[in-house]
Amino acid sequence: MLLIHCPYCNQTLPEAEFTYAGEAHIARPADPSSVSDEEWRDFLFIRTNVKGPHYERWRHFYGCGRYFNAVRDTVSDRFLITYKTDDPRPELSKLLEKSK
Amino acid sequence: MSSFRVSGRGRVDHTQPIQFTFDGKKIKGFKGDTVASALLANGIHLMGRSFKYHRPRGAVTAGSEEPNALVGTRRGPGRFEPNTRATVQEIWDGLQVNSQNRYPSLSFDVGAINDKAYMLFSAGFYYKTFMWPKSFWDKVYEPFIRAAAGLGVSPTEPDPDHYASRYLHTDVLIIGAGPAGLAAALTAARAGSRVTLVDENPEAGGSLLSEPSVMIEDIPAWDWVAKTVAELKELGVKLMTRTTAIGYYHQNFVGLCEKLTDHLASPDGETPRERMWRVRAKQVVLAQGALEKPLVFDGNDRPGVMLAGSAQTYLNRYGVRVGDKAVIVTSHDSAWYAAFDLADAGTAIAAIVDTRAEPNADLVAEATKRGIRIMAGHTVTGTEGRLRVKSVRVNPVTGSSVGAPEIIGCDCLLMSGGWTPSLHLFSHTKGTLKWDEERQTFLPDHKAEECEIAGAGRGLWGIEAVLNDGAKMGAAAVKSLGKTAKAASYAVAHDRPGTGVSHKELPTDLDAGKARAFVDYQNDVTAKDLRLAVREGMRSIEHVKRYTTNGMATDQGKMSNINGLNIASDALGVPQPKVGLTTFRPPYTPTTFGAFCGYHKGSHFEVTRKTPIDSWAEENGAAYEPVSLWRRAWYFPKEGEDMHAAVDRECRATRASVGIFDASTLGKIEVVGPDAVEFMNRMYTNPWTKLAPGRARYGLLLGDDGFIRDDGVIGRLADDRFHVTTTTGGAARVLNMMEDYLQTEWPDLDVWLTSTTEQWATIALNGPNARKVLEPFVEGLDMSDEAFPHMSVAECRVGGFPARLFRISFTGEVGFEVNVPAHAGRALWEMLFEAGKKYDICPYGTETMHVLRAEKGYIIVGQDTDGTVTPHDAGLSWAIGKMKPDFVGKRGLARPDLVAEGRKQLIGLLTEDGKTKLEEGAQIVLDPNQPKPMKMVGHVTSSYHSDAAGRPIAMALLEDGFNRMGETIYIPMPDRVIKATVTGTVFYDPEGARLKL
Amino acid sequence: MTVLTHAFTPGPIVASGPVKLTLMAPVARFSLRLRAASIPAVSKALGVDLPTTVGERAASGTTEAICLGPDEWMIIAKPDDTDTLVSACADIYASATHSLTEVSAREITVRIEGDRAAELLTIGCPRDIDSIPVGGGCRTVIDGVTVVLWRDAEQSFRMDIWRSFAMHIIDLLCTGCKEFAAE
Ligand SMILES: [Zn+2]
Repeated sequence: MLLIHCPYCNQTLPEAEFTYAGEAHIARPADPSSVSDEEWRDFLFIRTNVKGPHYERWRHFYGCGRYFNAVRDTVSDRFLITYKTDDPRPELSKLLEKSK
Repeated sequence: MSSFRVSGRGRVDHTQPIQFTFDGKKIKGFKGDTVASALLANGIHLMGRSFKYHRPRGAVTAGSEEPNALVGTRRGPGRFEPNTRATVQEIWDGLQVNSQNRYPSLSFDVGAINDKAYMLFSAGFYYKTFMWPKSFWDKVYEPFIRAAAGLGVSPTEPDPDHYASRYLHTDVLIIGAGPAGLAAALTAARAGSRVTLVDENPEAGGSLLSEPSVMIEDIPAWDWVAKTVAELKELGVKLMTRTTAIGYYHQNFVGLCEKLTDHLASPDGETPRERMWRVRAKQVVLAQGALEKPLVFDGNDRPGVMLAGSAQTYLNRYGVRVGDKAVIVTSHDSAWYAAFDLADAGTAIAAIVDTRAEPNADLVAEATKRGIRIMAGHTVTGTEGRLRVKSVRVNPVTGSSVGAPEIIGCDCLLMSGGWTPSLHLFSHTKGTLKWDEERQTFLPDHKAEECEIAGAGRGLWGIEAVLNDGAKMGAAAVKSLGKTAKAASYAVAHDRPGTGVSHKELPTDLDAGKARAFVDYQNDVTAKDLRLAVREGMRSIEHVKRYTTNGMATDQGKMSNINGLNIASDALGVPQPKVGLTTFRPPYTPTTFGAFCGYHKGSHFEVTRKTPIDSWAEENGAAYEPVSLWRRAWYFPKEGEDMHAAVDRECRATRASVGIFDASTLGKIEVVGPDAVEFMNRMYTNPWTKLAPGRARYGLLLGDDGFIRDDGVIGRLADDRFHVTTTTGGAARVLNMMEDYLQTEWPDLDVWLTSTTEQWATIALNGPNARKVLEPFVEGLDMSDEAFPHMSVAECRVGGFPARLFRISFTGEVGFEVNVPAHAGRALWEMLFEAGKKYDICPYGTETMHVLRAEKGYIIVGQDTDGTVTPHDAGLSWAIGKMKPDFVGKRGLARPDLVAEGRKQLIGLLTEDGKTKLEEGAQIVLDPNQPKPMKMVGHVTSSYHSDAAGRPIAMALLEDGFNRMGETIYIPMPDRVIKATVTGTVFYDPEGARLKL
Repeated sequence: MTVLTHAFTPGPIVASGPVKLTLMAPVARFSLRLRAASIPAVSKALGVDLPTTVGERAASGTTEAICLGPDEWMIIAKPDDTDTLVSACADIYASATHSLTEVSAREITVRIEGDRAAELLTIGCPRDIDSIPVGGGCRTVIDGVTVVLWRDAEQSFRMDIWRSFAMHIIDLLCTGCKEFAAE
C-alpha cells in the first residue's frame, strides 16, 4: 500500500483512501463536434502507457473528494510529485533532478 | 523422562509436563517445547516423508526455515492445519499431530516406490513425461499429477476460528529480536522514538537463547535478554512475539502475522487465532540474522542428519540432546561449538570432520582437550541407515583426489555449510544484493526503502560484533528521524566468533550421478538435478529454478538457494554474481488464508446494505436478492407459493389495484447552484432548460464514447436545484463521473453535487388505486391530474413527514414515488400499507418490478445494455436533445462504428409456441442448420413470464433488429432449438392509456 | 452488548469495557459547498466561522462545522435550528452562491470513547489516528466504508456513518470491543 500526498488536504495518507483515475493532462476538446474521428478516438482511447514516470490522475475518494494529478514512476511505484488539477504540468527533467 | 532430555537444561519448564499425540501415540514434553524438540527428546527423528520420493525425513532445523518436518495439527472439529512446521509448533496438552505424505504408516510407506524409481523423476520430469501422447492427458497424466501433487491434505471443514487485523503506525519497526534487534530497539527507544520490535519466536533473544554461556557486559546472555526486555517495556516499546514479518512493501509498509492461540490448550472464544498487522514505519531495521546451510552429499537427508546450529539450539534452548553419538561435518567454525556443548552435555562426538585442511588452532585445541577426534581436510561421501542415520562414510581429500573411505558409526550427523544472511524481506523491497567473495554469500547493497540491516544480515559473525552493529543501526534509524541517539558499545566475554568456507556439493569417490545429495529437501531436488538442468540447456538461474523446482517449495529455498547457486555456477562455469539469485516473494513463511481474510468472513464477509424498510420485508417473509451491495426484497411468497406464483400474483395485484415497492436503493444526487441547469444539459443527453420546476423527466447518461452508462428520473425542484436519481448499482459510479467532469473539465461551473441516496427512503405506489391510497396522507399538494400530472415532482408532507413526491411510473400504471427522510421510511410504509388494505394493496419485490417494466419495454441499464449500446440501439433516440451543442457522448454518437449499419438493437421476442420462456443470455442465430461454429447475431437480455400478456416475453439485442420485425430467429439450446418472432418491446398497453388518472 | 437494529434507536451499544460505543441522538446535518468568495457571507449566516483547512473544525453554540474538502463542509446543528439555518442561507444565496443540502437522515453517529478508543479505530482505519488532533477530524475510510471522524478528546470520537453501512461498521467495532475485553 502506497502513501500518497493529497495536494488539497496537504497530508500524506494511505493509498486506501484514494482511487486511481487514469492518465492525466488529457483534456476534453472544447468543441467536440469540430474534431475528427481520429482525434476523438485518441482522446477516448489512446494512452501513453509508459514504463517510467507517468502523469496520472488520482482521486482522494474517501477523503476530500478531489481529483488531482501525480507523476509516478511505474517501475518503482514512487511518486515524484502530486499537484492540483489546475496546476501546470511539471517538467519531467526538473522532477528527476529534484528526486536525486 | 528419556535419556535425551538433559535435566534442568534449556528454557523449557521442567516442572510442567505436557502430553500430546504423534500419529496417535502419546508423547511427553515440557511447556516450552516445540513438537520437534519434544519428539527429539523422546528419541524420535523420523517425522515425515518427502514430497516426491517419500523418503523418510526428520527435522533438519530448529526454526521456521524447516523444510522436512511438516506435520498436520488438529485441535478438534474444523481446526486442522496441514504442513505445520514441527520445529515451530509449540505443544500443549491434547494437541494431535500427524505425519504426512505416508501410507499406510510413517515407517512403512508404499509411495516410497518413487524413491526406487527416482531416475524417472529427475529434473524437468513433468515437462518430459507428460508430453505425449496427447490423449493420455485427461485419463492418465492429470489424475496422476493431481494425486501426487501437494503436501499433506487440505482441511475439508469450514474454519471455525476467527481472525483479526490492525493498522499500526510506528517510528521504528525492528524485525528480529535477537542480539542485533534488541540492541537496535534499546538504542532507538532510549532516544525517544515509537519503537515496535517483532520476532517470530515465542520469546525475544534469538541466537542468544542458544548461547547461554556468552557474557554480555558481565551478565550471562539470558539475564541480559531479560533485563533488556524489561527496559524496552519500561520505555514503551511494543514487543510482539510469535509475530512473523511476512512481507515488506513500498514505503515501509510491512505485513506482520501474529499467532495468538495456536500455542494454547484452551483459548477463550473471543481471542482471534491470528492477527494481521499492517504496519507503516518511518524506519525499518532488519535484524533477521542468518540461516545455516546444509552441506550437499549423498544421503544428507536421512533422519538424524541435522544442522549443527540447530542441534546446539535443541540442547541449549530445549534441553534436548539430539543423539548419543554424533559426527560433525562442517566447513564453518560454528559447528565446533555445537560439538563442544554436546560433548559437555554427555553426547559422544565420534569425530569432527572439517572440509578445511587447517581449522582454527584454538578450536582444535578445545576439541583435543575434550578428546574429540579431528578429521581435517575430509569430506563425507555417504550415510547409511533406513529410518535413522547409523553411520557416515568419511574420506580424506587431497587437492582434487578423494582418498579411501572410513565408516564411522553414529546416531546423528550434524552439519554446517556456513551461514546465509536472511535477506528475504530486504529482497521484497527490490533492495539489491552484492556477492561477497570473502564470505561467499550475497550481502545487501543498494537499499530501496528507508531501512537499515543489522548484524548477521550484513554478514557479521559473533555476538559482540552483532550487538554493536545493532546499536549502531538503531542509532542510524533514529538519526534519519531527526533525533540523536548514542549507540552503546557492548563488551562480550566467551564470545563465539568464527569463519568458514562455502561449497558446491562435496567431492566424492563414488559415482556422482547416483548420489542422492539433496539441495532442496522440500521439493526433493538433488545436485544431480541442477547439473542436468544446465546440461539440458538452462542458462538463467530463473530457468534452472523452474526446471528443477529448486527453491519453489513453501520454504522458498531458505536453505537451498546458495547451495543451488554454487552448483549451478560450477556447472555453468560462471561465477556466482554473474549467475545471480532468484527473487524472494512474500510471504516469508506460509501464512493462513484466515490471517489475510481478517474480519471478513461469515456475516462480516462484505457490507450488506439494507434500506430503512428492509426490516418490514424481513418480518413479512421476503425472499432477497443481492443488488450491488444491497440486499433487496425479491418477492414476497405466501404460504405454498413458489417464486413464479408469487411474482404472477404480485404483478396481477399491482395492475388490478395497487402495489407497494421499496425503491430506497435508487441512487440520488442533489445538483444545486446557479449553473445547475447548464451542468445537467452537459451531463445528460436530454434538454433541461425548458423543464419547469415541479416537473420531472427521464434522463439518459452516456459516456463520451456514446454508450449508455445510466438512466433515471430527474425532478427539477427549483431553477437551480435538481433531484437526480440513478440506478441502484450506478449511484456511486455516476456521482464519481459527474465529479470528474465538474472538477476537471468544467471547474468554472457554479454547481455542487451531494449524494442524498441515504437521506431518503423511497416508496413506490403503482396501480389504478395508487392515488386513492396515497392522497389522504398528502398535505400541501393538489394531486389532481391537472395540478400534478404524470412526470411531476413536488415538495410537500406525506404522513406528517417532509417529503418529495414524484408522479412517475416504471410499471405503466399510475405511479407515485414518495421520498421521506430515511428514519421515517418504515413508519410511512406501514401507514400506506395499512390504508391500502381496503384496496388489497400488494407489496412486491424486484422481480415483479422487472416483469412490470419489461411488459412496458423499459430498459434496465446493465441488463438490457452492456456498455456497447447506444441510445439509438436501445430505441431511446427520443431522449436526445438534438439542438444542444454538446453533451457527454454527443460526439461519441457520431463515431463511424456507432452510425454504421447492422448494429445490435434492442427488440422484443415472442417464442412461437407461446409457452417457452427463453433463458437470459441465450445466443441467437438466423439459421439453425448452418455448420458450426454458428454465427451468433445477438442474445436475450431480459426474459419473464408475463401475467398481463398471458405468455412469456423477452427482450434481446439483435443485429439489425429494427429491420427484422416479424422475422423468425432461432435460439439453440443444449436439448433443442427454440423459435421466436421478432417484435417491438412494448408488450402491454402500447398507447399508455393506463398512466392517466 | 445491546443488539442494535436498523431502527437506530439512540443509546448504549457497548456499555462497559475498555471502549464504550453509544448511538447518538439525531442531529440536523447539512452538506455545505461553496467557493472561497462566499465564505464570509455564509459564515455570518450560519453564525460559525467556516474553517478553511481540511480537517479543521469550528463551533458556535450548538452549531458545528468541519471542513471536509477545499470547498466542502459538514454543518451539525440542533434539529430545532433547521429552518433558521436554511432560511439564513437562502437569504444570502443570491450574493453568495452555495449548495446547502440537508443530509440529517443520511448518516447516524456513534460515540467511541474509553481508554482504548483510538486503538479500536486501528482495526479498520488505515489512517494514523495519532495524526488527528483533538478538536479536529477528517473524512476517511474504515473497513472500506467512508466515515467522518470527529476527535473530541484524546480518547473520545464521533463517527458519522451512512445508514446502510452503519451496521457493518458497528459490527466491526463491537467485534473489536470483544477482542479488547478478552485481552
Ligand atoms: Zn484530500
